[in-house]
Amino acid sequence: MRPEASTTAAPSPYEAPELYDQLFESLDFDRHFWLEVGRGCNGPVLDLGCGTGRVLIPLLEAGVDADGVDLSPAMLDRLRAKAAKQDFHPRLLAADMRDFTLPRLYARVLCAFNAFAHCETLEDQLATLRCCREHLAPGGALVLHISYPGTALWLGAGGEPVLEHETTRPASGHRLQIYDRRFLDRVNQSQRSEIEVREMDSRGGIVTSHRFETRQRWVYRYELELLLRLAGFARWEIQGDFDGAPLERDDQQMIAWGWREPA
Amino acid sequence: METQDLSQYIEPALYDVAYAWHTADIPFWITRAQQAAGPVLEAGCGTGRVLVPTLQAGVDAEGLDLHPGMLEMLKKKAAAVGLAPRVHLADMRDFTVPRRFALITVPFRGFMHLLTTEDQLRALRCMREHLEPGGSLVLNLFYPTLERMVEPGEVERVEHEFDHPETGLPVALVTVRRESDRVRQVLHAEMELRESDARGYAGAVHRHRFSLRWTYRFEMELLLKAAGFPRCEVRGGFDGRPLERDTDEMVWTAWKD
Repeated sequence: MRPEASTTAAPSPYEAPELYDQLFESLDFDRHFWLEVGRGCNGPVLDLGCGTGRVLIPLLEAGVDADGVDLSPAMLDRLRAKAAKQDFHPRLLAADMRDFTLPRLYARVLCAFNAFAHCETLEDQLATLRCCREHLAPGGALVLHISYPGTALWLGAGGEPVLEHETTRPASGHRLQIYDRRFLDRVNQSQRSEIEVREMDSRGGIVTSHRFETRQRWVYRYELELLLRLAGFARWEIQGDFDGAPLERDDQQMIAWGWREPA
Repeated sequence: METQDLSQYIEPALYDVAYAWHTADIPFWITRAQQAAGPVLEAGCGTGRVLVPTLQAGVDAEGLDLHPGMLEMLKKKAAAVGLAPRVHLADMRDFTVPRRFALITVPFRGFMHLLTTEDQLRALRCMREHLEPGGSLVLNLFYPTLERMVEPGEVERVEHEFDHPETGLPVALVTVRRESDRVRQVLHAEMELRESDARGYAGAVHRHRFSLRWTYRFEMELLLKAAGFPRCEVRGGFDGRPLERDTDEMVWTAWKD
């Protein structure tokens, strides 16, 4: 189950923000949850790994005082342009989640849609969590969403291309299809994906093909609790899915809350 | 602390014989004990499957176990070979013994009896306190295989057949139920020791259940770190190969500064 050695140096999907948006901007499975978190906290919010603003722009629309951090300047440029059209000018910082510095403290730090899986080592994970904790106001909380690495993930380790998502490009009417070849290493809790985005015309002919590569490191429930403990959080809670229920099955999404000590 | 279900160890004499076939790991533990630069403590020593041969190899070793019956059996076995080992009836999560050790071992997945993070940390911290500076802790755990995650709960599998130590009649060790709670990381198992009479008819059945908490690789690293072990290493088996597959056995060594 070890990943094959990388043969091509395909770019990250974050180097193609426009395409990324067309693929993922419409995803709203978690939007309600993040709006609740942002509106309910009575203070500023930081969206860590904000990308092109899939979550951050709706937060701004809801009147939340929200800033964003992302590693990719290209993604932030697109977010900035989209926000400016609605006359929003959020504070955006191009920085590594393991080591960023912002001048204020937040009531909530959000880490949505598996952004934390970009931390590939234990040291990366701890550095990121510590940095988040340092940016929380006393009593504030980090809220992190990462998929639970259940049996379905590991059983799908064949390396065969799987159609993951399909959408239509509005301007051209072209179909976009994402195919993902997954290489999984269960013991090292890591995944490497070779992604192909096919753009097809109305007759099904391939117009363009974009290739990307991503790497992810998955975490288990008690492991995540230990990470929060070692990063200095005062208390923590793991929930299953976006409705606050306990985590009970391995096909649920994992929501971790980590609180900073109150003043 | 979580209470421990000790029904697995209810028949020490039978337990002892039921697992007597398991010898593959013994040379590893003896070698580690011989290499230690001081006394050795084995936590979860049971009936002495590892401790007795370790003492026979001339190592200065003590044992610790939660179960009085198992320790009685151990003393009997040791006495039969002319040994009087120093053993402690105690919980690995909370014990105090006078000596400090160069090596503490937890063989045969004994650590997996600890079902919660808090219990795991208590045990690791307590063992760390009983180590000399520079001493090490060595323990083994199974890695939770994908196969085990998806197996059906009801099984009927004869694990091992052997002769009763007193009557000489056949006894079978049978797994009857096994279920994995995937997010709580606990394997619940029910097993039976089935005795037979002289004519081969079914005799007494000793049913026991136990729960084992599995731990993932990086989780274990974090536990050791949180318990104050600055340095640790994992191997994929007693032969020292790297941990690569989920069918490997995790053999951990952690060092105290």
